[in-house]
Amino acid sequence: MSIRSFLLSSPIFLGVFLFQEAFVTQMRLPAGGINLLLVIALIWSALSTPEIGALTGFGAGIGMDLSQTSPGPMGHWTLVLIIACYAVAFLGYGDDNIRGNPINIVLLTTIGVVASQTVFLVLGLMLGQQIGSIGNIIFLLAGSAFWTAIISPLLLKVVSYLHANIFGSRAQL
Amino acid sequence: MRYGGDNRGRLLIIVLVVTTLFLITLDLRGVQVINGLRTGTQTALTPVQKVGSWVVSPFRNFLSDVTHLGRTRNQMEKLKTENDKLRLALQNRQVADAQLKQLKGVLNLAGTAGFKVVNAKVISQGSSTSFTQTITIDAGTTSGIHTNMTVLSGYGLVGVVKYAYTNSALVQLASDPAFRIGARIAGSQQIGILSGQGTRKGVLQLLDNTTRIHTGDALLARGSDNGRPFVPGVPIGEITSVSNSPGAVTQTADVKFYTNFSTLGVVAVVVSGASSDPRDSLVPPKPHPTPIPTVTIYATPGAISPSPTATK
Repeated sequence: MSIRSFLLSSPIFLGVFLFQEAFVTQMRLPAGGINLLLVIALIWSALSTPEIGALTGFGAGIGMDLSQTSPGPMGHWTLVLIIACYAVAFLGYGDDNIRGNPINIVLLTTIGVVASQTVFLVLGLMLGQQIGSIGNIIFLLAGSAFWTAIISPLLLKVVSYLHANIFGSRAQL
Repeated sequence: MRYGGDNRGRLLIIVLVVTTLFLITLDLRGVQVINGLRTGTQTALTPVQKVGSWVVSPFRNFLSDVTHLGRTRNQMEKLKTENDKLRLALQNRQVADAQLKQLKGVLNLAGTAGFKVVNAKVISQGSSTSFTQTITIDAGTTSGIHTNMTVLSGYGLVGVVKYAYTNSALVQLASDPAFRIGARIAGSQQIGILSGQGTRKGVLQLLDNTTRIHTGDALLARGSDNGRPFVPGVPIGEITSVSNSPGAVTQTADVKFYTNFSTLGVVAVVVSGASSDPRDSLVPPKPHPTPIPTVTIYATPGAISPSPTATK
């Protein structure tokens, strides 16, 4: 892992963060919509080594914590994403059955999004936040899974291309 | 080959997690640097969000139409008959009309109560990914908006200003799960606590179990000291169902908010409350059913031509 590669990927995540905050949140998509930064961070991690996955989670998590819509303390999303991105990268690392198959990456990302939100929720409860009705939570989690499963295949090609160009050595999907 | 990890990798994970826990601790202890980071980010994002709001507006209208297909079907059928240019002009006009209608409504409400308000456009709706319900408006501290101010729509309560930035403000909607407000029933003056549930429905917990509440009762804000965070008398919603469990310590009821949070375009922030409590004067009037004219025909044997008589 090189610092240069990590720094090169920073503008991409900054751009995604700006796009998410300025455009995606305006769309008012049904069923809670989608968080592009979360999805792209997980796809990026699925293509990376566990160390880069954890660093990606850290960077993306800081971005999500800086978002005005984040209800928790600074570091809440960061902690969740370090764990989630590391876990996703760890599961896929060295296993070409997962890494080389786009369907498996989409599945891994979708499960990762739902798991991240669930962990975020549990951490929020531990930090004393209100979470609302169970029905609404299940609806939002299902909505997130739906939107991630729809958007991930569309993003995968672009993210894979950018990842291959920055880290060089990996085969592009 | 399965990844087994090495010392360098483990050290990195530990450093990142410890840094994150450090950040959480700093934020929970109220360190100003962390708050400054968020404020700075929001200040930098506001112009981008305004551009985004302008760019996304046509797509948002389209998505809204798809979501509310049943309600806008008649409108869509009319639009089908017109050409593309007229359709675009009509859509732009509809956006302006909707905002004007909302603005008129909110000014009427604020005027009746005697509130001093600052109007603002909704420039962003918070993502539900974090299980919160928020909107961002395009007016901030430079317009006299500060935290803990009541936010209204033409129908009633929208929420409360959670954070005020230089040119924008984050509003916590009444539907947010963390939202709590002291409320009273119009007429009977029973008091209770209303909490958001993440949807357009809230739950009212009455403080007194001896009196009865009924479906359709209107709910108003009780108000706070100096009108912050809530000015008194603002309509919140109406009771849709009452739960009267014999063994329960308190009565609870489901409340449907008057405001439709998914269609907010223009809102007003109450910067100064009324000199006197408006009491029940802001309760919206009950809708009156429009009489349907019926035609009765009396058939008289032997008559040449029966004439219809219109009755109401």
